[in-house]
Amino acid sequence: MSFRHLRAVTRKEIFHILRDRMTLVLVLFTPTILLFIMAYAITVDIRQVPIAILDYERSAISRSLIQQITAGDDLELFSQVDSFDEIEHLLIQGEIKAALIIDPNFSSDLFSLRGLPIQIIIDGTEPQSGAYAVDHIALRAEELINIQLTRQIQALGLDLDSIQPIDLRIRTWFNPSLKPRVDLVPGLISMVLGLPALSVALTLSHEREHGTLEQLLATPISRVDLLFGKMIPYIFFGLLNVILIPLVAIAWFRIPFNGNFLLYFALSTIFLFAILGLGTIVGVFMRTQAAALALSFLVIFFPGFFLTGIFFPIASMPEIARLEALALPGTHYAIITRGVFLPGVGLDILWPYGVMLLGLGMAFIAIAALFFRKKLA
Amino acid sequence: MNSISPIILTQGLSRDFKSNRAVDRLDISIQPGELFGIVGPDGAGKTTTLRLLAGLLDISDGSAQVVGFNLKKNPESVKPKVGYMAQEFSLYAELSVLENLTFFAELYDLDKNQMRERRDSLLEFAGLTEFKQRRADKLSGGMQKKLSLACTLIHNPPLLLLDEPTTGVDPISRREFWNILTDLHLHGTTILISTPYMDEADRCTRVGLMYQGRLVECAPPHEIRANLKGELVEITPSDWKQALQLLEDLPGIIAIQTYGESLHILVNSVDEQLPEIKNVLHKHDIKYQNVRQTSARMEEAFISLIRQIEA
Amino acid sequence: MLKRIWALVRKEFTHLRHDWWLPAFMLIGGAMELLLIGWATSRPITNLPLMVLDHDRSPGSRELVAALENTNTFRIDEHVSDMAAIESAIERGEINAAVIIPPDYFDMINTSSGTPTLVVILNGAESIPATEAMRTIEGVTREIGERIVLERLNLNQDQLAGFNPSLRVWFNATLSEALYTTPAELGLMLEFTILLFAALSFTRERELGTLEQLLVMPFTSLEIVLGKSIPVILVGFIDFILLLGITNLAFGVPVRGPVPLLLVLIFIYILVELGKGFVISIISRTQHQAFLLVLIVGMIDFMFTGYAAPVESMPEVLQVIANAVPAHHMLAILRGILLKGSYGKGDPEHHG
Repeated sequence: MSFRHLRAVTRKEIFHILRDRMTLVLVLFTPTILLFIMAYAITVDIRQVPIAILDYERSAISRSLIQQITAGDDLELFSQVDSFDEIEHLLIQGEIKAALIIDPNFSSDLFSLRGLPIQIIIDGTEPQSGAYAVDHIALRAEELINIQLTRQIQALGLDLDSIQPIDLRIRTWFNPSLKPRVDLVPGLISMVLGLPALSVALTLSHEREHGTLEQLLATPISRVDLLFGKMIPYIFFGLLNVILIPLVAIAWFRIPFNGNFLLYFALSTIFLFAILGLGTIVGVFMRTQAAALALSFLVIFFPGFFLTGIFFPIASMPEIARLEALALPGTHYAIITRGVFLPGVGLDILWPYGVMLLGLGMAFIAIAALFFRKKLA
Repeated sequence: MNSISPIILTQGLSRDFKSNRAVDRLDISIQPGELFGIVGPDGAGKTTTLRLLAGLLDISDGSAQVVGFNLKKNPESVKPKVGYMAQEFSLYAELSVLENLTFFAELYDLDKNQMRERRDSLLEFAGLTEFKQRRADKLSGGMQKKLSLACTLIHNPPLLLLDEPTTGVDPISRREFWNILTDLHLHGTTILISTPYMDEADRCTRVGLMYQGRLVECAPPHEIRANLKGELVEITPSDWKQALQLLEDLPGIIAIQTYGESLHILVNSVDEQLPEIKNVLHKHDIKYQNVRQTSARMEEAFISLIRQIEA
Repeated sequence: MLKRIWALVRKEFTHLRHDWWLPAFMLIGGAMELLLIGWATSRPITNLPLMVLDHDRSPGSRELVAALENTNTFRIDEHVSDMAAIESAIERGEINAAVIIPPDYFDMINTSSGTPTLVVILNGAESIPATEAMRTIEGVTREIGERIVLERLNLNQDQLAGFNPSLRVWFNATLSEALYTTPAELGLMLEFTILLFAALSFTRERELGTLEQLLVMPFTSLEIVLGKSIPVILVGFIDFILLLGITNLAFGVPVRGPVPLLLVLIFIYILVELGKGFVISIISRTQHQAFLLVLIVGMIDFMFTGYAAPVESMPEVLQVIANAVPAHHMLAILRGILLKGSYGKGDPEHHG
């Protein structure tokens, strides 16, 4: 390795990017922009789920149930209908996500403890909204039931306490209200910080397409210097985002940051090293930029999104996918970012992941250098 | 002459691609200080040969020694001593003239003083001194080629491999380019240059003709020209189109080339064929002037050689 | 004019044949990707590591633990004997939840009015599995609780039946995750493929300098655009069929609605995305720029498809904007035609 050669290539790459204003802006800010967009999408709390209600009984009790259910912000009464067909229609049209049907014998069944005579129909194509609707309807209905139940039991002369089931005390660490965004946003950081890798994949094919590579190969530069020199500018750009993104996360989205920033910075550098190494491998194998783009989408971007355990827990993935996730730098980095933001854990817990990333980085660069030949064909 | 070891020595050098053999058992020996030209039609294997010698392609068969190194075993060792200029040498568009030069200077490990000195003299050489801050993509075609050459020369290599360096360059720049090459030649640099221009072939110490991957002729230019079978007659008829049609199929006529409004006719013997020619033209009432016998040029020699091979 | 367009299309296809591997790559790659991602993620959340601290060690507590294990949601690796182990495990992110059974659990259950306190600690650092864990644990304890109540009140099952509202799930009877995630993933893949392809088609020529040549030829701009559109539309269509085939065969996503209508709507969608891709390629000078723009545009669209969060819950402004986003309607169409069979009267059986 020649430091001089490395520096020459790095300098050239930096000039190349700096002098193309639009690309520079895009490369610098895309990670942050993407994070902003996606975090926004996720931080949406479900509310105002549209439902329809069909009340067959129309009694004072059923009406009070309806009132209770529609009182809050969480459910929005799209319309109260008179027939089952209307409900079917609305569900198909997608105007409502769930429907509540109050049976004609609602009151009597309720009073005689013969069950809860309501039906809920949910749109299975959007289970989130559906589940939400069910939860909230059930919650309100439960209150009504409890009142009734209590009266009945007292009427029967039984002890109220005897019907208390298990008392469940739930304590949630790090994220008391279990808001998805608090852990998803740090996870997204992991995904978004991998973007420079896509740009790195492009640089080698760019030289191939523009014909500057042949000349470069004829010089005595070593493979490692060439590949590494092309990576370094993007490490810098990545680091800029490493600083910028948490600021956005903390200031705008109010994600708590409890950890040590220096530690985060150091581990992020290692991550960049690893993910850019992966990008370099893609660049080594692809002849044209379009191909490099396509491959890096398939191997870096999409897996980084879906397979790194950000949205879907790795424990629930099949064995092979779990193994693959291990090989993705994003997986380990997501654990690091989550750890640094929420629990604010330190090096003592995070060091294995840092080591893993270092190992992956070195392996990737080794593979890239191995397969990159200073030959045209 | 033979006691000095050749700077390039190949034995049976071959290179195969998927569908064809681009370089076929090349045996060539080039002495230090030669100005060697490689000519040949498209697809003859010129570019592949240069790339092989520069260490940019794997050798399929045979062997080669370049600047004292075994090309198969040590391709990377060859590179510091060779200046290779690709046919489509692209400079780094966003970098300035100076930055491009400096980049290559760094890669060839020139020390600070060397670098400054070489840069300045090369810029001078190439007439680019006043443009040194300009972005490479804002240079004219000729200037770009000269800059490319400068980048190739920056480390003062003993061997230059140039692949059609003057293609697409205006005549004046081309002349300046050759001034540089001649100067280098005088100072002992070995130059291997492939060219489609016959007049450039004429300026070389030796010319190699490649055809379908093989080296079919390798000799100094005057020998090649002398070996040309046939004599050349130049004539300017009043209706060259018709004259061309009439004369094409005459016996003893090897080839006819048009030059503006004149015809260059390659005949077996001027004494025999010229009267014939005059007769035919006369018969069809075509007037002519400027009849004279000219010496064969590389172009004719080249074309007739190719024709012989194809036959 | 048609002849010229045809000539252009032929030229594009010749290019394509030369670089045939590029669309093949994108098609096959996209398909494999969908398979992989679908396979890995469209399954219920299972196998979550759960830690149990059982102070009681009675038949009752063992029954509770067994019930938790039977849910498939959890995987119980170890029973620990102190809180420190649990705290450390949660800090390290090694478990998603821990259950602490008090020493008097069994005794309390067996009295006529005892209420044992079960402490559950959730690892909120991963909210999605944590929420699932919470729901599962709540479900298990509710069942056990109901049984307890029945015994104590001396009632039988039927009398207390139906205190949970009867739930019917339409269109997705088994609540299979695949049915709702894969159409969204399909839409995303398709969009990115088309956008990339369209954006790169012009940008590539511009960057490499061949666009100039095209422009000096006697083609009108319209002809050039049409000529370039046709291969993209073709690739887009093939991609859609391919991906649809995969979601149908590999993931069991049905096609309940009218297929011709689906194809027509997809065609319109492809055209719209094509247009967007072309706009991007006009703004970009290099392929690098084009692709970064595609990323941004694509992700914005993705947000509006409702994959991550339902659009109805977004602020008013965003909901209005969502109407202008083709992908939003695309997903509604996909879900509608595939799952709901909409625009045709589905019979109740289809609705489970």
